[in-house]
Parts: sequence; structure tokens; C-alpha cells
Amino acid sequence: MDFLGFLVTQCLNALSQAALLFFLGVGLTLIFGIMRIVNFAHGAFFMLGAYVGYSAVHLTGSFWASLVAAPLLVGGFGAAFELGILRRLYRRDHSAFLMVTFGLTLVMGEAIRLSWGVAALEVPAPKSLSGIVFILDEPFPIYRLFLIGAGIVVALAIWQFLDRTRLGLLIRATSQNAEMVHALGTDVRLVRSAVFGIGCGLAGIGGVFAAPLVTASLGMAPNAVIDTFVIVIIGGMGSFAGSLIGALLVAFVQVFGTYYFPDLALALMYLLMLIVLVIRPGGLLGKEA
Amino acid sequence: MRILAVVVCVLALAPAGLPPYAMTLLTEALILGLFAMSLDLMVGYTRLLSFGHAAAYGLGAYAAGNLLLHTSIPLVFTILLAALCSGVVAIGVAWVCTLASGVSFSMLTLAFAQLLYAVAFKWTAVTGASDGLAGIPRSPGPFGITFFEGRAGFYYLVLACLVAAFIFCRSLVRSPFGAVLRGIRENEAKTLSLGYNTRRYKIAVVAISFTLGGLAGALYAPFAGFTNTELLFWLFSGQVLIMVIVGGTGTLIGPIIGAAFFMLVSNLLSSWTDSWALFFGAIFILFVLFAPQGIWGLATRWRSLSSTG
Repeated sequence: MDFLGFLVTQCLNALSQAALLFFLGVGLTLIFGIMRIVNFAHGAFFMLGAYVGYSAVHLTGSFWASLVAAPLLVGGFGAAFELGILRRLYRRDHSAFLMVTFGLTLVMGEAIRLSWGVAALEVPAPKSLSGIVFILDEPFPIYRLFLIGAGIVVALAIWQFLDRTRLGLLIRATSQNAEMVHALGTDVRLVRSAVFGIGCGLAGIGGVFAAPLVTASLGMAPNAVIDTFVIVIIGGMGSFAGSLIGALLVAFVQVFGTYYFPDLALALMYLLMLIVLVIRPGGLLGKEA
Repeated sequence: MRILAVVVCVLALAPAGLPPYAMTLLTEALILGLFAMSLDLMVGYTRLLSFGHAAAYGLGAYAAGNLLLHTSIPLVFTILLAALCSGVVAIGVAWVCTLASGVSFSMLTLAFAQLLYAVAFKWTAVTGASDGLAGIPRSPGPFGITFFEGRAGFYYLVLACLVAAFIFCRSLVRSPFGAVLRGIRENEAKTLSLGYNTRRYKIAVVAISFTLGGLAGALYAPFAGFTNTELLFWLFSGQVLIMVIVGGTGTLIGPIIGAAFFMLVSNLLSSWTDSWALFFGAIFILFVLFAPQGIWGLATRWRSLSSTG
């Protein structure tokens, strides 16, 4: 086996993994940046995205339709949950959010099990993206290349959205000084609902993208939520660039760790997080120590 | 204090009147009660929100399991040794975790528990990997005493551990040490400026909490006769947190009631629906929203209202 070919395909593998993790991490970090809350249900929203994607593919026959439907539905549900329940908790300390969203994780997991059943559901990749290409004589799935592209597009889109649009400006302002934004005549509560919806919608997109690789299953939520926390903690809570760096680091550690140290693969990610936190308790790009 | 004595007496009479199945449930509820109470020291008294308390339980359970399977140390000493094991590991864990605070602390505890979970999956020689340890005996002795091997005897052992741990915790939180913990809960910066090395206090309370949590785990291993990696899984850490919150944080009694409530509700619900987690999640959300003081908090408030009104 050609070592260069192996290295390139493993790196591409890690990049596609990073794209999936980024969809999760960026949503969580956006929500934390604005609301100072940790959304424990983020993995459950990711899972919901995968299941909604499955149903949308089966109803419409189009993977692309599910890419539109899932984030809208999942994001809408997230925003509704913020409006209905989370909004009551802003005066309380951060632990209340962790608990309520933990409760939501249990409820969503059961509701999904009742609606879609316990069996893992296969979601086929669209025809144009199935199959493999040869990169330096190594076979590589086209779908993973597509994921890398999608990750780059979404990252650029979020960056431009935060940097160039009015809502993006409000989001950045709210994350720095919510009271001042409120005093200047913007309803901060609406900004919060919007951000929670967007964050959950991003997790939903991640779920749709992940489904063809891992199938939609009930084990998705716990695995996803822990990976996401690790990414965001490594990158720094609330930092957009941090979530990108965290996703890349974790993806490379996961992919290469599984290859070189199969026995330690699970532990490596946590070790990475511990090392980062011991050196920089607030994460690599975090502001708080 | 008088109520406590009455409750202990009633619990001590339980083996005489309850059928075996109910005794098994009650024993497990008391073990979980001990576990939840140990977490309350961190969550309720110091506001150290741990998302990885399953680590304490799992450490105790695996330590006890190995000691009982591979040595002939009597059951009573085994559980104490296993609890100490968990406490010693906790000093290292706490040293790292207290580098951070707030949400990062919670996530670090989660990471540590998951790290142990990952290790338990791979370290087949000690943990039996995904099969777990099976056939854990209740070793006899010392002096050939076999009382604790039976259903009722083991129940009394659990009850004794819980009562002793409760009395210990209550005097701990009423001591000057406990006052410093409450100081950290209310305002850590102020406590620090009063000259208390708050990090050392936090490490100490995590170690004590892990020791008692480890005791609960050490009781569980011979109770169930097996251990598996579920005991270290994050979902279990979340469940014990639910027990503490629903029961009432910062009260010691509350979490024990919360654990009993958890056992009761999950058993009642699971007999007519297999999706009890749906209801439990909803109950939990409602408690956090509308009754953050928990069952015990509601009960004491209702009592003080009815006595003044």
C-alpha cells in the first residue's frame, strides 16, 4: 500500500468527519455564546434531524428535499422549546438549563423510539454522490468528499452571516452585552429564540448529513452530545473559530487514533480534552479562564 | 431527629412484612439513596455540578467485584476498601477538574467518567469488558459470620451504611468545614478572600463524595451479583442528578427521597408502559421549572406554612 495515498485518504476521511462534528459544535457554541447556557439536548436534535431526514427522503424521494425539511423542522422545534420553556429560566443559574435540556434528551429519545421504532434506519446517499473515486490509487467514497465541501460551504456561510448581516450583528452584540442591546431597542428575547432555533437547525442538518454514513439510530444522541461537548470545550465555549479548530482536532484524533491505537481510540479524545483544559481552562480560543 | 429514628425503625422492620420482590426493590432504593446523597454534598452544598458521578459508583462496584471474586476478604471490609479506592482516585480527578469552574467543571467530570467508561470497555482482565463481572459472591466473615449473605441480612448492611453515611454527612455540613462549603456555593471569590483555600476544600468534598458514592457502588456489586459498563455510563450520572434535583438539593434527606421516588415511578410506569423515560423526562422538566426546591423542599415549606397558618 502506498503510504502517501493512505495518508491522503485518511486526512480526507478526518476532514469529512470534522465537517459532521462542526455542524454540531458550531450550533452548541453559538447557543452558548448568546445565552450562556449549555444545551444538553444538542445530540437529541442531531438525532431528530437524521430521523426527519429519513422520513423526508422516503416521502419525497429526494435527499435534497430532506436537507431543506430537516433543519426547518428541527430548528422550528428548537425555537418553540426556547419560547415555551427555556425562556422561563434566564433568571436562574446555568445548572437549570443543563437539567431541563437533559430532561428534553430523555423525552426526545423516547418520542423518537415511539415514532420510528428501535431498528436502525438506512438512509441511502443520493445517486449522484454514491460510489467511489480513486485518489492516488486509493478508493474513496464520493459522499465523504461531498461532506467536506458541505462543511466548507456552511462554515463560510455562517461566518458571512455573523459578519455581514443585521441579525448576525445583533447576535454578536447580544453575546457581548445583552442588556445594552436590549436598552437600544432590540428585543433580545427574539434574538435568543432565533439563535436557539438556528443552533438546533444546524444540528439537524448534521443529522441528515450523517445518516447515510451511520444510519439513523437511537444511539446517535449520546455519542453526538459528548463529541460535541469535547469539541466546544477544546475550542473554547462561545468561539466560532474555536468550534472549527475543535472539530478538526477531534476528527483527526478519532480517525488516526482508531488506526494506530485501536485500543485507546475512545480514550484519546478525552485525553486531548484534559490536556487542553489543564493548559488553558477556558479552551484554546475561549475568553473565560 | 425523632422522625429520623422512627423512619429507621420502620425500615428496620421492613424484612418482617415485605415480600421478597419488594425487599429487593427497597434494598436497591436505599443503595441509590446513598449514591444520590453523596452527590448532594457536591451539587447541593458546594454547587459543584458533577455530570460524571457514575464514575464513583462504577469505581466502587468494580473494586468490590474484583475483591470479592479474587480474594477472601469478608464482605464488610471489602465494601469499605472499595469505597476508599474510589475516594483515592477522586483526589486525582478533583485535582484536575477543579482547575476549571462552572460549566467547564461539569464537562470535565463528564469527560473523566467517560474516560473510565472507555477504559472499562478495553481492560478485559479487570472489568470483563462489555460482559462485565458476573457471579460476584457475598463473602462470609469475619469470624465466620454469614448473616449478611441472606436477603434480609444484606438489607440491614445497606441500611446501616446509609444511616451511618447520613449521620456523617449531616455532622459534616453542620461543621465549620460545611460552612466553608456553603461559602463556596454562595460566593467563591468572597470565601477565597477570607483566606480559605477554596480549591483544597473543593478537592476534599469531591473525595468525600466519591468515597460515599463508591460505598454505594461497592454495595451494588454484591447486591446484584454482577457489574457492567452501564454503571459508568453518562446516562447513569444524569439519572442520579435527577434524583438529587427532584428530591431536593442541599438537604441530604431530599436526594434519598428522590432516589426512592425514581425507583417507585420507574417501576410503576414500566409495568404499564415501556416508554417510562418519556414520562420521567417530562416530570423532571416540570420539577426544574416549577419546583426547583424538590419534593423535600415542597414538603418542608408546606409544613412551615401549615404550622404558622
